[in-house]
Parts: sequence; C-alpha cells; structure tokens
Amino acid sequence: MPVGLDIARLYDEHVQPLFAFLLNLTRDEADTRDLLQEIFVKLAREPKLLAGVREERAFLIRLAHNAAIDLMRRRGTRERTKEGFAAELLSPFAPASDPDEGVFRAELAVALGDLPEDQRVVVHLKLWEGLTFEAIAEALEIPPNTAASRYRYGLDKLRDRLRPLYEEIKQV
Amino acid sequence: MNDEPNPFERRLSRQPLRPVPGDWRADILAAARAAQTPARVGRPAPQSWFATVCQQLSAFLWPHPKAWAGLAAVWVFILVLNISIRDDSVPRPVAKAVPSSPEVIVELRQQQKLFAELVGSSEPRDADRHKTYQGHPRTEWVEVSMV
Repeated sequence: MPVGLDIARLYDEHVQPLFAFLLNLTRDEADTRDLLQEIFVKLAREPKLLAGVREERAFLIRLAHNAAIDLMRRRGTRERTKEGFAAELLSPFAPASDPDEGVFRAELAVALGDLPEDQRVVVHLKLWEGLTFEAIAEALEIPPNTAASRYRYGLDKLRDRLRPLYEEIKQV
Repeated sequence: MNDEPNPFERRLSRQPLRPVPGDWRADILAAARAAQTPARVGRPAPQSWFATVCQQLSAFLWPHPKAWAGLAAVWVFILVLNISIRDDSVPRPVAKAVPSSPEVIVELRQQQKLFAELVGSSEPRDADRHKTYQGHPRTEWVEVSMV
C-alpha cells in the first residue's frame, strides 16, 4: 500500500491529460471537474489502489474512463441529447488566434464529438496522449487489435469529415 | 501495429488541448485531502515486515476503530467476569452422597431377592446348564428301552 500518498504530485503530473481526456468524453466542463474531483478523492481515500501499479498514467486514464462511463450511464438521456448537439458543446481544444485554425479546430471538435465513444477514446489517447496501442489496450482493458481497429475506423471518419478543410489549409 | 503517423495524423495531434482551469487545483486537492484519513497523511513509508503488518492491520481496523475497541472491551469484561466466578466465593456443585445406612442396605437386598423370585432367576436357565455325557450312543439307549 502506498503510504503517505502525495496527492498534489499526482495532480500536477497527471491532471492535464486527464482533464483533456474527460473533456473530450463529456464535453462538459462541470462534469469534467466533478469527475476529476471524484478520481482524486477516490485515490486519497484508497491509496492502496495505486499499489503495484507500473504505469500511473495508464491506471489513471482507466479510472477516468470508468468514471466517465458511469456518469454517462447515470445521465443517459442528457448525454444522448449532447451527442446530437455536439457542435454546441465545449471543445476540448484551446482557442486559436488564427481564424483558419479556429475553424479547423471547431470542425475537428464536432467531428470528434460525432464519433462513437469507444472510437473517440482511442483516437484521443493515440493522437493527443501519444500512447501505443498496447498502452491504450492496457488502459481501456481491451485487446490491442481492438484498439487499433477502433483507431482506424475513427481516423477514417475524421479524415472524411475534415478532408475539404484539411486540403484547403494544406494548400494555404 | 504502431505505424508512423501520416501528415493528417500529425496535423491533428498538433492541435493544442484546452488547459485545466487554474483555480480547480486548490478545490480538488482540498477535497482530496479532506477525504484522506488523518493517520494516513504524511506518514513515512514502512520498511520492515512488522511495520507492513501493522499498517495492514491498521487499515483493516481503521474504518470503525471505536467499534473494534468496544468489542475488545466487552471481551476483557467477559474474561474478568469468568475469572472472578472461578474463585472460591462460589462453591462448586458436589455430587450428593448416597445414604448407606444398614436399614437401607437391608431394604435393598430384600427388594433384590423379591425381584429375583418374581423373575424366577434362582434356577439356572437351560442354556446355562452343563450338558451331561450319557456314556453310550442314543441308538443303543433306544434299543434297550424297546426290549
């Protein structure tokens, strides 16, 4: 059991990726904050959860994923409504100063929001966390091949959706 | 399985993510620290096996320390009560002595005799009787008797 758990260190080292991951899943800042607090309170209350954990980041992502799934199930109707209005939901990306970049990010946020949850999670972890499929598989407790195929499906959908914008920006 | 990212993937991965609001840190950490039990905050990591065992025992008992302490007190009370009862203040039960006056013994013997007469056990049973040897075969005896 890890005694004297340094919760501040855990927060400082992992909160940014957890925040981005949860925000991409929930698209709601209040929900993301609640989930983050739930995770760190849980770790503080049960420090033994981290006993024997080799990869803290992967473990925390698993906790975050499970917590987000629980929240979505509890608020099923509300989440289904959110899925339908992904464009109105909070973007997981930072605001851009360049208008073209802003448009691209906004479109990317909508396209991500339209992906099924299981594909969106894998795409996020692969593209913005730089995890390997093995690491994603470990974090989400799925086979690596499943992680890879979900990524391919998700990326294809994003490419189809963003191709016109992407080509346009690339030419500029 | 982990192919090199193509330009499209690189373009996506370069999009910066929204940063965590700075004012969340204090609130979330305050909530987390409030959830930590006082005994767990800032304790040094135990090195020896004894410390580990103590730690695990403490973790096991920790959820309801008053309940465990109460249970221990009840057991101590029962133990003390048990020891005090064993003292000489309370005499142990002693088997009652059987009266053995001569009149009673005579009476008992009379009853035994009467019972034996009623049952008829004064004579030996057939099974208990010793078999007597006749001295000659039964066929001879039959012939003699016919003559």
